[in-house]
Amino acid sequence: MKIAISYPPIFNALGQKAMVSQNRNVQFFKKPTYLLPVIHAQAATWLNERGYEVFWDDGNSQLKNFQTWFEDLIVKNPDVIVFESTTPVMKFYWNLINRYKVIKPNCIIILTGFHSMRKPEESLENSTVDIVIKSNHIDFILVRILDSIKNSPDWRNTLSVEGLAIRVSPEIIRNTGNFVQVEPLDNSPIVNRKLVSWKNYAYENGNFLRTPGTYATSVIRDCMFGKCTFCRYNGPELTFSKMSISKSVEEYENLIDEYGVREIFDDSGVWYRGKDAQEFANEIIKRNLHKRGTYFGINTRFEYLDEETIKILAAANFRFILLGLEAADNYTLDRLNKGYQIENVEKTLQLMTKYGLHPHLTIMVGYYWQTKEQLDLTVETVKKFMFKGLARTLQVTLCTPLDFTPYHQECIRNKVLLTSDYDDFDMSKIIVKTPIPHSEYYKAVRKLYSISYSPKFILRQVLFLFKFRVRDWEFLFIYGIRALRRVRQHIFNLTRNEIK
Amino acid sequence: MTISNILDRRYLTEDTFVLRVERHSKIIKAGQCFSIGTRNLGINREYSMYSSSSDEWIEFLIRKIDQGAVSTELGDIQIGKSIEVHGPFGEFCLSEETITTNKFLFIASGVGIAPFSSFVKSFSNLDYSIVHGIRYENEKYEYQQYIGNRYFPCISRPKERSGRPMRVTDYLKTLSVANYSKIYLCGNQSMITDSVEILKAKNFLASEIFTEVFF
Repeated sequence: MKIAISYPPIFNALGQKAMVSQNRNVQFFKKPTYLLPVIHAQAATWLNERGYEVFWDDGNSQLKNFQTWFEDLIVKNPDVIVFESTTPVMKFYWNLINRYKVIKPNCIIILTGFHSMRKPEESLENSTVDIVIKSNHIDFILVRILDSIKNSPDWRNTLSVEGLAIRVSPEIIRNTGNFVQVEPLDNSPIVNRKLVSWKNYAYENGNFLRTPGTYATSVIRDCMFGKCTFCRYNGPELTFSKMSISKSVEEYENLIDEYGVREIFDDSGVWYRGKDAQEFANEIIKRNLHKRGTYFGINTRFEYLDEETIKILAAANFRFILLGLEAADNYTLDRLNKGYQIENVEKTLQLMTKYGLHPHLTIMVGYYWQTKEQLDLTVETVKKFMFKGLARTLQVTLCTPLDFTPYHQECIRNKVLLTSDYDDFDMSKIIVKTPIPHSEYYKAVRKLYSISYSPKFILRQVLFLFKFRVRDWEFLFIYGIRALRRVRQHIFNLTRNEIK
Repeated sequence: MTISNILDRRYLTEDTFVLRVERHSKIIKAGQCFSIGTRNLGINREYSMYSSSSDEWIEFLIRKIDQGAVSTELGDIQIGKSIEVHGPFGEFCLSEETITTNKFLFIASGVGIAPFSSFVKSFSNLDYSIVHGIRYENEKYEYQQYIGNRYFPCISRPKERSGRPMRVTDYLKTLSVANYSKIYLCGNQSMITDSVEILKAKNFLASEIFTEVFF
C-alpha cells in the first residue's frame, strides 16, 4: 500500500507560497521558510517502519510548482493521500480533493489539521474527502487505521478507531467519537531524516544561525499550558504528552554525529521546564554535545524558566529562545489567558541575555479590543527591550482568529469578524473590527520591524561583540544580513493590504 | 492577574500543604486551575483548585518539589504576604447539567486529587467514587470529606504489615467500571496512560474519559 503525505504548493495571486506545515498559522511568502511538519514526519516514519511504501510529498520544500506537483502525484498513484488543512487554504483543498478524485476515484484522501478536525462535517460536505482525522495525533491514528483499511474492503462501515469522521457513502457520514491521546509519546518514532529529505528544510529558516539546521522530534505534544485563547493548542480534544529526555537527547546526538547538524530547534509549543529542562541540559553536557559546535533552540513561556535552568541551558549551548510577547499591557495578556504579567518579562529577558541566550520575541497586534494606548505601549516596550539588548530578534504577526480557537469563537460571538471568507484568514490583513483604524496596526508593524534597521539596535549588537562570544559575532555578520532580507518581506506581507 | 494575600496554610504531610489565598471577585468553575507564584519571583506554576467554587477563598493542594522554585517558596512564604494569581483557566470541569444524571469515577495520583476535592465540595449531590494513588498512608489528604465509602486509596508503599502495596492500575483491573458513565483522571502521565489503557480494555468509551496531566 502506497501512502503519500502531501503538501501541495499553494500560490496566491502575488505568486507567494502558503507555508502550510506544523499546524502553524499560514502566511504566504515569496521567499518562504520551509518548516518540517514534525508530526506528519513521525507518521511517515512510523508507517514506513510498518512496511508501507511512504511517499514524502512536500511540494513546497521540493521547490515544485503546482502543476508539476500535481502531475507527479498522479504518476505516483498513491492508494492514500494525507493532507494538512488550515483555515486560509480550506477552499483550495476542497477543490484539489474534488479534482483529484475525478482522476483517481479509488484513492483514499485523508484530511488532517486543526481546521478540519474542529469542523469535519464542513470538509465532508464541501469535498469528496474520505476521512477527516479529528485529532492532532496523526501519527498514532494513521498507524491504527491503515492496517484496517488494507485488510477490510468494508472499512468505511467497520473502522472502529476513535477520532474519525468517515464518508460511508455520498450521503452518509460516520463519526467514531473523540480520540484522546493517552499513550506515551515515546511510542511514536523519531523522525527518519532520509525519508523526509531533511536537507530541504535545513537552510531556509530564520531560526537557524548555523546551518544545516533541523527541527528535533518535538518532546512535547500539544501544550503543557494550553490555555492561550488565540492558540490552536487549546481545546478539550488536546492532551499534553511528553517524550522522555533520554530519547530526545539520543536523537540530538544522532543528528550531530550522523548528519552534521549545526543548529537544532525543538518546535514543541512549550518545551520542558524546571527539573526536566535541567536534566536535558545536563545530559547534553554529560555527552559533550555542547562542545560539538551545534546550537540548540526552544520555545518557552515567560515565567517558566528560573535562573538556575537558564544558566544550565546556556552552559549546554542553547542559543535561540522563542518567547511569545503577545502584548505589553496586562489587560490584553489577561484576556488572552497568557498566565504571565508584563512586569516579569524584563527580568526573564535580563537573565537570558546575562547567560548569552538569544531571546526572540513573537509579537501580535490587532486584537479586536486593542486601543492606541495599548498598541503604543507594545511598540515602545519592544523597542526598549531590543535597544537594551534584552531581545535579539523579533517577529510580528497580525492577530488573526483561526481554526475555531477560543479567540476565533469569541470574535464570532461578539460579531467583530469582518469576513467569513476563509481566504481572508491568511494573516495578511486585519479582519476584525477594532477601536482604532486598521492603519494604526500596520504602522505598528512597520515600526517594530524597523527596529532592526535602527542605529541604536545595530550599535547594541556591536557592543555584544565585546562579550567575545562566537555567537554574537555570528549574529551580527551572518544572521544580520539574512534577517534584513526577511524583514523587508515581512513588512511587505503584513502591510500590503493597508488602504492608503 | 490579581495579587492575593495568603490567608492560611496547613501542612497535611511533611511536604504537602494546602494554601489558602484571597479569591477577590473571581468567577470560578470547580476543577479549574491557576498559575501562581510569589511576588517578583518572575516564575509561576499551574495548580488546580482544591476548594469549592463557592468558597470565599481559593485553596491549592501543593507538594514541595525538590529544588522546585515555586513550590518551595509557596511552602515557606509568611501568612499575610501576597502572591500573584493568574486565572482561572481550563475546562477540566463538570457540566452542571450532567451532574445529577451521571455516576462519576475520579482517578487521581498524589496531589492530582485537588480538582476532585473541588468537585465534591462544590456539588453536594454528586454521585462519585474516588480512586487515589498515593505512596504512603499519610497522603490520603483530608479523605474524610469523601463520605460514604466513596474513597479508595491505593497505597504503593504501605507501612510494614499494614497491607499489601497497591497501585491505581492494580485496583482498576479488578474494578467493574460498567456502572460509571464518566471517568476523570488527574495526575502524572504514566498513571493516566496506564489507567486509560485498562479502561479501554474494559470497553469504556474514550469519549467519556477526561484527563488532566500534571507536568
